[in-house]
Amino acid sequence: MSNEPIAHFEAASTIAVVVSSNEPLLFLTEDQRVIAASTSFCRAFAIEPATIPGRPLAELGAGEWALPGLASLLRTTASGSARIEAYEIDLERPGRETRRLIVNARTLDDGDSARVRLQMAVTDVTDMRAEARLKDDLVREKAILIQEVQHRVANSLQIIASVLMQSARGVQSEEARGHLHNAHHRVMSIASVQRQLSSAQAGKVELRSYFTQLSESLGASMIADAARLSIAVTVDESSVEADVSISLGLIVTELVINALKHAFPDQAKGRIGIDFHSAGKDWTLRVSDDGVGLLTGEAAPKPGLGTGIVDALARNLDGEIEVSDAHPGTSVTIRHRAGTRRSASHPAAE
Amino acid sequence: MFNGKAVILIVEDSPIIRMSAVDLMESAGYVALEAGCADEAIALLESRNDIDLVFTDVQMPGTMDGIKLSHHIRNRWPPVKLVVASGNAIIEEGSLPAGSRFFPKPYDGHAIADAIGLLLAGEAL
Repeated sequence: MSNEPIAHFEAASTIAVVVSSNEPLLFLTEDQRVIAASTSFCRAFAIEPATIPGRPLAELGAGEWALPGLASLLRTTASGSARIEAYEIDLERPGRETRRLIVNARTLDDGDSARVRLQMAVTDVTDMRAEARLKDDLVREKAILIQEVQHRVANSLQIIASVLMQSARGVQSEEARGHLHNAHHRVMSIASVQRQLSSAQAGKVELRSYFTQLSESLGASMIADAARLSIAVTVDESSVEADVSISLGLIVTELVINALKHAFPDQAKGRIGIDFHSAGKDWTLRVSDDGVGLLTGEAAPKPGLGTGIVDALARNLDGEIEVSDAHPGTSVTIRHRAGTRRSASHPAAE
Repeated sequence: MFNGKAVILIVEDSPIIRMSAVDLMESAGYVALEAGCADEAIALLESRNDIDLVFTDVQMPGTMDGIKLSHHIRNRWPPVKLVVASGNAIIEEGSLPAGSRFFPKPYDGHAIADAIGLLLAGEAL
């Protein structure tokens, strides 16, 4: 048959379908001569349409389609024992960039079993592959960059923490030392968030591990006798946005520092509780102690920077502060109710 | 040890953090030596035989980072105790020699002092 000229005429509609295909498409005889090629094929591979009909595939263009592997696969396909699915070839043409192509081929099933014809679809994936590679490179670069930034942030916080601690060791005044220690705790509180974030998914901070880390760090530096004073963390599965967690962490830091400083002047034992739970967008944070309770009148400590920080942050989170007597001790509760927001522009806990 | 105080070598390329670490060690009652990179640290370890513990950063300029330095020390001077700090929080403790302690930066001076006290008392891990 291969020595005979093409003796059959194809239906005009079949040819029209091939020629108008958006995807580069060839319509071949059993011996791999081109019956028709789509306009998209001619355009994509720079082949003059008039030169195509009747020409062997291997002689298209300057002979760049003479690929032994492809010819062998087309032969197998024509014999009916296989079909070509996503076969990848490199199309090399002099003076042009090599193109990576994906070829799919199958026999045409139009009921005429005596005469085998093949349809071969070609997709040029060169640009798509290059884009995917570029995207992979960008993702990798971004990961390296984030790691670098986290490292720099950690180092900068270390410098601040180191300077504050060294200053605290150096000053004579007990009051000044207290202030420097508190400043150090605030820096460490923010640093804990940073650490949680570097291992977190999608910028969310898991509050249980964050508050646990925070209480350990506060305890390590403020509690001299761990058998006397303890901090217990009871937090549900809540995760919040990073900036919300920074505010919550600073509030907890201030309230715990305050309790450690004032609640247990002479007690043999004391316990501070940090509780957080949320339901939908509502949440409640409570820091309580079983110490001496609320001091009034002369004995009450003057509101300091710590109180100012708690008030400002709670307001910013649309939280209501309630200070109550816990019999024994004091309990400070901050409640956020999604319906009662005063300012419109801040993210709520989730 | 001529005065009975433990000798701690601090390896840290940031001068402010190093200065503060020296102050921390001295106020905890130790003798503090300092190095700005691994090569300086190795030169110090070779020049004297009284160093009890090395407290090192990880990311540093020079031929070795703190992880390589800690392995080198463990091989060359096995009795020297190791404390490692890094700004990369998710460092695998498994990549450090057995028995060394790791702290993410920023570390708390008290926690470092406690860990060093335990290591020197031989109660580590």
